[in-house]
Amino acid sequence: MAMMGGGMNGEKKEIILQARDLHYAYSEEKMALDGVSLDIREGEKIAVMGSNGAGKSTFFLNINGVLKSESGEIAYRGEKMTKKTLNHLRKNVGIVFQDADNQIIASTVRAEVSFGPMNLKLPRTEVAGRVDEALAYMNLQGFENRPPHYLSGGEKKRVSIADILAMHPEIIIFDEPTAALDPVNADMLEEVLGKMAEDGKTILISTHDVDFAYRWAERIVVFCGGRIIADGEPLEVFRDSEVLKRANLKRPMLLDIYEILRGQGLVKEGMACPRNVDEFAALFAGKL
Amino acid sequence: METYVQMGLGLTAIAMGLQGIFQSGWEKRRHGHRHHRLGHKHDGAVFSIDYYAYASRLRGWNPGFKALFSMVCLVLCIACDNAYVSLGTILLMGYITVIMGGLSFRRYISLMTIPIVFLFFGSVAIAVGVAPFPVGQYHVHMGFFYLYCSDESILATLRLIARAFGAVSAMYMLTLSTPASEVILVLRRIHVPRLIVELMNMIYRYIFLMMDTQCRMKNAAESRLGYCDFRTSCISFGQVAGNLLVVSLKKGNAYYQALEARCYDGELRFLEEEKAVTAGQAAVAVVGVAALLAVWGLTV
Repeated sequence: MAMMGGGMNGEKKEIILQARDLHYAYSEEKMALDGVSLDIREGEKIAVMGSNGAGKSTFFLNINGVLKSESGEIAYRGEKMTKKTLNHLRKNVGIVFQDADNQIIASTVRAEVSFGPMNLKLPRTEVAGRVDEALAYMNLQGFENRPPHYLSGGEKKRVSIADILAMHPEIIIFDEPTAALDPVNADMLEEVLGKMAEDGKTILISTHDVDFAYRWAERIVVFCGGRIIADGEPLEVFRDSEVLKRANLKRPMLLDIYEILRGQGLVKEGMACPRNVDEFAALFAGKL
Repeated sequence: METYVQMGLGLTAIAMGLQGIFQSGWEKRRHGHRHHRLGHKHDGAVFSIDYYAYASRLRGWNPGFKALFSMVCLVLCIACDNAYVSLGTILLMGYITVIMGGLSFRRYISLMTIPIVFLFFGSVAIAVGVAPFPVGQYHVHMGFFYLYCSDESILATLRLIARAFGAVSAMYMLTLSTPASEVILVLRRIHVPRLIVELMNMIYRYIFLMMDTQCRMKNAAESRLGYCDFRTSCISFGQVAGNLLVVSLKKGNAYYQALEARCYDGELRFLEEEKAVTAGQAAVAVVGVAALLAVWGLTV
């Protein structure tokens, strides 16, 4: 609770999207969002965590403009969003849905990826260019005329990402992207995420995978019962056992191992906690 | 607009339900659809025709051109009412579908047998008459009435069957070389109302998802002995069908949100690929139609 406000290092980049005190309820009894405020800055890599039904997906749909919050406001680049400017949000905040089958609508890959840009009312040549570019980005050349029901799960996921890339959004949201992927495809996804980060895209990912969140994210936002209960750097969040308990989370394995080793005196105090296996190996370079 | 998406799903669900009633052996489809089964099985028809169209070498042809060509041949075959033209159409369309399109001959024949039942019952009524007295060249005494037929009525029936097969082969040429999405595109081009075209689009997309869901539900029921005897099967079938409808209505909402997230405003717009008609393709059509006309001219 004490970490609200985030712990970005160095100079702060410009805020792209600002959500203030959002409230949203699907039914009378329970608030799905109960006063959520969040600033998203340019180029951030944010992991959104929390148990099922904590309000993550509802929050995403709110900042994309599909759901309209009952109270609170959303500002995009300092401009407050109203009903009339909702399409502005939808254009600039893209969501890759959890289940690609829920997202894919067209009957060929090319038509599918063109759906978003066509809705932006771009000229045909521009749409065609964006579709080709997005397909190339996702390594989907040669799939243009394939119907979605002849694609594998990983290929469908790639198509659903190309869908969003072709719209050139500033913020890309992934709703539990690794949930249905096999390890090889999950690796492929992480590679794509790395490429996007290099291109300076702002990325939000909701995930239950603590190890992934720990190694990938720069900032972790934890939802619980429609509120944000923690927002900070991964190490900070994962060391807060109270937050982990409330949000049904576990500590990343690397962090556990690191602390065991430190307890045994095998790692010197002051050595940075490794975020991935390579960094972990570097800790012991030349020692073992 | 949401109701619109759900309408599409609802229609698909109804279609699926009907299919479920008329067909059994669902689970075989899942394993069979890509592995070219031989022989004639109705249950795989949706999947296999879709797949053959996708795999056809004629897929790169302009769909409007193919539709026009197949329609011209179909109309010629029906309008000429000439046994030689009918046979010519069957051969020409078969040549294009099998030799040029690359569909295996056995599969083509097995697809051609699908309309045989309808043709048989339809033509028996024409070939055979019922009379209280023994008339015609051939007759059978059936107790208090006679079934009769003549050379002429048999020939007329054969001509009719040839004509029907000619028409079927012309339609097959289109459907076995053109994925449904492209056929829908042609319909859009000729200004079929948007509502119908978009519903077709959605039904085509969602029918495969529903087949999947239905298959999983059925397997889940089967694994708990849900189809152990006739009575249980009926109950399970009803439950699966009901569940399928509920699930599709729920999913309709998720689909709609996903559409809206990509700026959907009530009209489905997709980038359509232009496929130019090459001289070679035009030549095939012109030579084909000219040959049919020549056959007609020579045999009238």
